[in-house]
Amino acid sequence: MHKRAAGAGRRFESSPFVKEAGPLWKQATAAAFLDALAAGDLPGRAFNRWLGQDYHFARGLLSFQAIVLARVPRPAHATLIGGLAALDSELVWFEAHARRRDVSLDAPLHPACRRYTDFLIRAAYTEHPRALVAMLFGVEVSYLAAWSALEPKGPYAEFIERWSNPRFEEYVQALRRLAEEHHDAAGQQLFNEVLVHEREFWRMSREG
Amino acid sequence: MGQPLHAALWDRAAELAERCVRHPFVEGLGDGTLTEEIFKRYVAQDAYFLRAYLSAYALCAARAHDREAAALLVELQQGTLGELVLHAGYARRLEIDLAGVRPYRAAAAYCDFLLRTAWHETLDRTLAAMTPCMRLYSHLGTELARRGGSERRYGDWVKTYSGEEFGRLVGRLESLLDRVAEDTPAVEEHYLYALSCENDFFTASLEGGP
Repeated sequence: MHKRAAGAGRRFESSPFVKEAGPLWKQATAAAFLDALAAGDLPGRAFNRWLGQDYHFARGLLSFQAIVLARVPRPAHATLIGGLAALDSELVWFEAHARRRDVSLDAPLHPACRRYTDFLIRAAYTEHPRALVAMLFGVEVSYLAAWSALEPKGPYAEFIERWSNPRFEEYVQALRRLAEEHHDAAGQQLFNEVLVHEREFWRMSREG
Repeated sequence: MGQPLHAALWDRAAELAERCVRHPFVEGLGDGTLTEEIFKRYVAQDAYFLRAYLSAYALCAARAHDREAAALLVELQQGTLGELVLHAGYARRLEIDLAGVRPYRAAAAYCDFLLRTAWHETLDRTLAAMTPCMRLYSHLGTELARRGGSERRYGDWVKTYSGEEFGRLVGRLESLLDRVAEDTPAVEEHYLYALSCENDFFTASLEGGP
């Protein structure tokens, strides 16, 4: 068994971004899809749909993060470049899983996934770099919190472990430090919007 | 010779366009039964959208390959500014606060799509994303005028979009699309997705969000 960052979400509840997000935090980090996945009774079809859409999302996130990297000040570079390298490995990993499970990665974008990536990439060009770091923190911390709340067992244990390991938590802590250097209303607003998109993404994964 | 690209795309969008014509929001606009409350919501959301639309024109102008295209895009921007004047008139008469508009999710999604495309993608795809809005409104205006909508409660709206001046601008935008874009799957996809956003926009205006 790998070392795990079990329940990592709790360690971020003291963040002003999480506190001010109110009920959105829970809505973005707990989902019927994840409960079914952890219980081992998620239909294979729902999992494969999620896999295809999450791959699209990861590619959109890669674009977002690359643009953000070009716009943030020098001290943020190392963390964001490390994150980009990890995203690239993640795409390779998705591609291998898709081949094994015979999932097409060219499936059309679901509207929930499209709205999320359109939002990220539009914002990457038009919002202040400080607020963009808050957005990236929102994307990653909600993902960490959602997955690390699950027990790594059943048919999808490998997926649970991937997003609840200590190295991922270290990365999210580094993003948190960068984001919290400037906590303002504009950054909070965008952080909240990220959480709304996360919630809608999980709903789509469950309901199609 | 086949038909020009803009006409081919509009043909392929016939079902989506028809859904907009039959949308209860549009029908209410035409027969005047739409409540003032719903119309006010719509004007506020549309003004929010048009500001994104203006930015997209500006980004297109920055990418234009020649002076003729750039000049045309400036002219189209003027047309959108004219629409915003119409909205400001409604805002004064109906006491709508256009400054503090919070977009509904459908409006935000449409603006995000348009601006993502304009900033991040190519001129042809951006024009493909922008054309349906203009063509659809001209179509709706003409259709509602044919049903007598110009003489009813929202006659100003119907007259604006069924008018010759608006139709001329639509034709100019479509001629630019024909000149710049090829008939690729991405161009078609952007065109059709924009039309589906129009339909969602009407629904959100009717329902008041979320």
